[in-house]
Amino acid sequence: MAEMEVKSGGGHKKGPGVKKGKKLSTRVDLTPMCDLGFLLITFFIFTTTMSQPTAMNLMMPKDTDKPDETNKVKESGALTIMLGKGNVVYYYFGLDPTKMQTTGYKDVRKIILEKKKNTPADDFFVTIKPDKDATYKNAVDMLDEMSINDVHRYAMIDPTKDEYTLITMTEQAGGVH
Amino acid sequence: MGRAKIKRGSTNVDMTAMCDVAFLLLSFFILTTKFKPAEAVSVITPSSVSNKHAEQKDAFTVSIDKEGRVFIDMTDEMKGDVIDRISVDRSLNLSAEDKNLFKKSIFVGSPLNQLSSFIRLSPEELKKVKLTGVPADSSNNELQSWINAAVNIYSGRTINFYIKGDNNAKYTAFKNVIDAFKKNDIYKYKLITSPEGVPAGSELEKVNNETILNGK
Repeated sequence: MAEMEVKSGGGHKKGPGVKKGKKLSTRVDLTPMCDLGFLLITFFIFTTTMSQPTAMNLMMPKDTDKPDETNKVKESGALTIMLGKGNVVYYYFGLDPTKMQTTGYKDVRKIILEKKKNTPADDFFVTIKPDKDATYKNAVDMLDEMSINDVHRYAMIDPTKDEYTLITMTEQAGGVH
Repeated sequence: MGRAKIKRGSTNVDMTAMCDVAFLLLSFFILTTKFKPAEAVSVITPSSVSNKHAEQKDAFTVSIDKEGRVFIDMTDEMKGDVIDRISVDRSLNLSAEDKNLFKKSIFVGSPLNQLSSFIRLSPEELKKVKLTGVPADSSNNELQSWINAAVNIYSGRTINFYIKGDNNAKYTAFKNVIDAFKKNDIYKYKLITSPEGVPAGSELEKVNNETILNGK
């Protein structure tokens, strides 16, 4: 404790001529020190960021040439989402890329959910095709969108040549740089 | 009238105990805080709703910065084993000193033929020098050799493969990395992301709520 015990009046007696020294209190006010302690604690707590990064599982399929090992996608359940330059999303239902429509990352959720609602769960399949100009963030966002919307069947592959031409044409028409 | 005299108690409270607690907590927080390990390059990761923590054990991290350069980071234990293996695989003729320096280096950020000069760079020099990164394109895929070395040396042991990409990295750079993994028959890896809340009213939220309700 802060106060030290000062033994008063030890064994020996002081002579009559010896002046009794005034006893000073050894008690120290610890309030400021306590304040400082808590101030530092608050400071450390607020400046420490919980920087534990999270990890997202990604499983890619093995490349195969054998046709029986590939997954068949039903036309009625297929949704293809292509990620283009400048955070633009292109999508089409079924297998015909010419019916491509344009949207953004904010609205794509609605489209996925609507398609999900209208198709039997076993037929629903999303194909994600990021093109050369898409960023890594775009790809991760889209994979994240799959987990947000609880889509279990999806794949990430490259766009075909036709699809790529279509994207480039739309980009030029829309003036996306 | 005889009024009872109220004894005035002292308002001084002994702060010693409180002060002790404060400093105890302070030392606890300081000692338990781990410093963020030095970053290979500045990589701003995209966010995801995933809430799984990235494990540090046997981690093999491939970072992609915004210019598409690729860097490899491994645990210290792994570094020692992998450098032995890759110097045999690629007949690099690295000296024991080189290998030791390699273990101490923070990350791998140069092609194999410049490796011995790269590991001699001091942390200050690392910041100044324009690093080339590990070549990962199809013409000279050294990333593939690194992964191969790690897989061979730790066969039978699970390595946690991580990909840490920058928001603005091009998808092609990411694809090169995936291809390098694919060539080594690795199809399962994790993407390092920063945490993000699950959007309200989304399907995932419903699924999460159900699992909580079912007490799973």
